[in-house]
Amino acid sequence: MSDNLPAPLPGQSGKVVQVDKLSKKYGDNVAVNDISFSLTKGEVFAFLGPNGAGKTTTVEILECLRNPTGGQARVLGYDVSKRSDQAEIRKRIGVLPQDFNAIDRLTVRENINYFGAMFKHQLDADKLIELVDLKDKRDEQFKKLSGGLKQRVGLAVSLVNDPDVVFLDEPTTGLDPRARRDVWGVIERLKSQGKTVFLTTHYMDEAEFLADIVSIIDHGQIIASGTPDQLIDAHGGKKTLIIRDAGEEGLKQLPQGLPKAELRNAGDIAIPLHNGELTNILMSIAQSPLHDKEIEVRRPTLDDVFLNLTGRRVSEEGN
Amino acid sequence: MRSRIYTIISGHFKSWYRSKSNIFWTIAFPLLLIVLFGAIFGSGSTKFDLYVQNQDLVANAPTSLSQGYVNNLTSTGAFSLHMVAAEQTDPITYVKNDAQLHNRGQRLLVIPLGFQTTLNTTHQANIQLYMDQSDQASASLAGIVNAATVSYAARLSPTADNVSVQQVGIVTKNIRYIDFFIPGVIGMTLLTTGVFGAVNTNGRYRELKIIKKLATTPLSKIEWILGMVGYQMILATISLVVILFFGYAIFGVTATIDIYTVGLVVAASLLFPGIGMVLANFVKEAESADAAANAITFPMMFLAGTFWPRETLPDIMKVIANFMPLTYVNDGLRDALIYAEPAQALTNTLIALGLAAFFIVLGSVLMNWKEE
Repeated sequence: MSDNLPAPLPGQSGKVVQVDKLSKKYGDNVAVNDISFSLTKGEVFAFLGPNGAGKTTTVEILECLRNPTGGQARVLGYDVSKRSDQAEIRKRIGVLPQDFNAIDRLTVRENINYFGAMFKHQLDADKLIELVDLKDKRDEQFKKLSGGLKQRVGLAVSLVNDPDVVFLDEPTTGLDPRARRDVWGVIERLKSQGKTVFLTTHYMDEAEFLADIVSIIDHGQIIASGTPDQLIDAHGGKKTLIIRDAGEEGLKQLPQGLPKAELRNAGDIAIPLHNGELTNILMSIAQSPLHDKEIEVRRPTLDDVFLNLTGRRVSEEGN
Repeated sequence: MRSRIYTIISGHFKSWYRSKSNIFWTIAFPLLLIVLFGAIFGSGSTKFDLYVQNQDLVANAPTSLSQGYVNNLTSTGAFSLHMVAAEQTDPITYVKNDAQLHNRGQRLLVIPLGFQTTLNTTHQANIQLYMDQSDQASASLAGIVNAATVSYAARLSPTADNVSVQQVGIVTKNIRYIDFFIPGVIGMTLLTTGVFGAVNTNGRYRELKIIKKLATTPLSKIEWILGMVGYQMILATISLVVILFFGYAIFGVTATIDIYTVGLVVAASLLFPGIGMVLANFVKEAESADAAANAITFPMMFLAGTFWPRETLPDIMKVIANFMPLTYVNDGLRDALIYAEPAQALTNTLIALGLAAFFIVLGSVLMNWKEE
C-alpha cells in the first residue's frame, strides 16, 4: 500500500487531518461547535461520544459530504470547502459510512471491484478479501452474509483505493461482541500497516482498545483529548479495589481504617485506592473474614472519564 | 469515466438478473398479460361482426320499418350485431376504436333518419354499409347484407327493389386488439421498470448508504445518472425484443422497428427514470417512495392507452391522459411498430424526448448527491 502524501500546503505541518475552529449549524441547531483537532500520519484517532454529539457531522465534513458553516478543515493538506480540493480529497480517502451496506446481489468480490472501479487505481480485490479474512465468502452474495461479515466487506470497500486516510463511522455499531472483535482485528491490521484511521464510536472500550489518540465530543464540543492513558489519568479518577460478591454482610466485615467503601450492583464492594495504599489494604483484608473472597484491582476506563466529565454514562445503544 | 458508467450499468444489471422478482415483473408479467388479454379479447366468432346505427328514431324509439330491417338482419344468423347509439355523431371513428378494443371487424351499417318515412312515401330507401374493401370478409358480408335486404324488401313489396344498400369504403388497418395491445405492454413495461428502477435504486441505495459511499469517491452525480439510464436502456431493449418476439410467435403480430422506435426507447429510458428520481427526492423513505411510484404508474397505465384506446374513455379522462407522458410513448410505439405512420411517430417521439429531457434534468437537479 502506498504511503504517498501530497506535499503539505503552505502553513500546514504535514498533518493528515487538521481541523481548526470548525462549526456546523442547521438553522438554530449547532451540530458542531468550534472544534479543533489534528491527526498525524499512521495514527488511529477515535472521535468518541454519544449519538447526536456531532461525530458523524464532523466526519462527513471531512469526507466532503457536508459544508462547514464556520472554521476550517484540511484533509491531506486540501481544504474541504474548496470544490477543486474536494476532488483531490475524494481520490485519496477511504470511507465506511455509518450503517453502510454494499449491493445486495453482488458477491463480496464484485462489490469490492464495483467500488474500486470508481477510482483510477484500485487494490487487488483478492488481497483485500484476505486482509478482512473473507476468503471463504468471496463469491457469496452480500445479502447472504451476517452483520459482522458485511461490516468486513465495508472495511474492504473503504480500502479499495489504497487511501491515505480511512474514515470509519461507527464501524461496529449493532454487531455482536465476537463480530466487533473481528472488526477490531482488521483495524489493528490497518494500524500495523501504518494506515491513518479516523474512527468515530460511542463504545468506550473500542476507543480505548484501538486508538492512539481519543477526542471526546459531547453536544458538538470537544471536552477532552489525549491518549487513552492520558485521559484516564487526568479524568478517570482513582483505581478501585473490588471484592467480589461480598454483599451487605461483607461491608460490615471490612476492617477498620480503610478508605470509604461502597456496595455496587451484583454485591461487589468497591474501595477507592490512593497511591501506596494497595499493600496495606490487601493485608488488612487477608486478616478479615473476607480473606477468601475474589479480589481485583480495577483501573478506571474511558467510561469513567466520560462519566466524570459529563456526569452521565453512554448506553450500549449510544444514547 | 466510461469505466465507472460501465461498472454502474453492469452492477445494476447483475442485481436485476439475479432477482427472480425483477425477471418476473420485467419479462414474465408483460408476457402473461399478453396471453391473458389476447385470450380474453382475441377469441374469434364464426359470425360476422356488424355494427349497426339506427338513426331512424321517433320519440327515441326505432321506427317499425327500421326495427324490422334490423330484426331481419338478426334472423339471418350470420351476424353479431353491435348497436351504435343514434346520437353518436362520428360513428365511423367510434366503430374503429370499439372494434379494435374488442377485436371485431370494422363494419358499420347505417339506417338513416327518415328511412321509414321515405320508404312509405317514395317506396325507396338507402342504407349505407361502411367497410374496408381490403377486409377479406367484406365480399361475403356485403353479399349476405344484400341478400337480407332484398328479402326484407320483398316482404314489403313484390317489386322487391325499394331498398338498396349503398356500399361505402372505409380505410381500416385491420388492426386486431393484440396488435394494439402489444405496444401498450411495451410502454407499460418501460414505465414500470423505469420509475420503479429509479425509485428503488435512489431510495434503497440511499437507505443502504451506498449513494453516500459513492459520493465520497471520484464518481460524479452525472456519471451515476448516466449509468442508471444506460441500464434502463438495456432493460428497455430486452423488454422490447422479448415482447415483440413473443407477440410474433404466439399471435403473429408483425412489427416494424425503425428510428422512431429507437428514439422512443431512448426517450423512455430517460423519461421514466427521471420521473422516478423526482419521486425519490420528494419521498425519502424507500417504502413510501414505492407507494408513490404505484400511485403514479397505475393511473398512467390505465388512462394512457395501454389496455384500450383512449377514445373509449370519458371526456375528462381523455383530457387527463393528454398530460400523461406514457400516452406519447404508447402512441409513438403504436405509430412506429404497428401502424407504420412515420409522421405521427415523429411527433410522439419528439414529445416523449422533450418530456424526457425535462424530467431527467429535473430529477438530476433535485437528486441529493451530498448530504446537505
